[in-house]
Amino acid sequence: MAKQIRFTYDGVDYTLEFTRKSVERMENTGFIISEVFEKPMTLLPTLFAGAFLAHHRFVKRDVIDEIYAQLPDKQDLIAKLAEMYNEPISALLDEPEVEEGNVEWEASW
Amino acid sequence: MGGELVDPASPPSYTEIFEGQFPFYLSIGMTYDQYWNDDCLLVKYYRKAHELANERRNQELWLQGMYIYDALCCVAPILHSMAKSGTKPTPYPEKPYPITREAIEQEKEEKARANRLKAKAVFEAWASKLDLPEGVTDDE
Repeated sequence: MAKQIRFTYDGVDYTLEFTRKSVERMENTGFIISEVFEKPMTLLPTLFAGAFLAHHRFVKRDVIDEIYAQLPDKQDLIAKLAEMYNEPISALLDEPEVEEGNVEWEASW
Repeated sequence: MGGELVDPASPPSYTEIFEGQFPFYLSIGMTYDQYWNDDCLLVKYYRKAHELANERRNQELWLQGMYIYDALCCVAPILHSMAKSGTKPTPYPEKPYPITREAIEQEKEEKARANRLKAKAVFEAWASKLDLPEGVTDDE
């Protein structure tokens, strides 16, 4: 099961998730995930809005911004959103299962 | 022309990677909707299923090769150019190779039983030829 964020706002249940199609739509509008950390104020709400595309495509941007403004713990939320955004691609590029013959490596930091 | 504007070192976008991989997933049975709109982790299970299907096919082909090899071995005696007249092919195995654990166990048991019966018959034939003195019974 793909990573999802679930919450209820104003009596409506929301499930945020990224599919390949929603990632494609975001990129088609010029969104580049690597720029999120350079322009967080502009791009974080866009990333948040993009997570609505999979299950709540027709929710208006005003409502999404309203929800975003009221969500606590944004730092953690953004980390989770970035993780979710990367999932459609990481599922494609997954490493082989650990078995003999694979070269092991580790970082020093 | 214009190629100088493209940074050759820039990594491909996610969309480019998705589109590049899409035909492979179509070829292993995923639908357009599953790939683009469903749970993004589905691809992992399709890959694993594809791997299992490949292994199964490999097993089947190997087994088929074994049957062909067996068939050739069976007819080999009559294909020999110097074969004596009247040479017959050896019979082809009466039943398929056992491949399940249960069938393998069953075949082992059948072989052991057949061996026991054969040994018993040999022993009985040998015993019947013995010239035992009269009055000797099993009890002694």
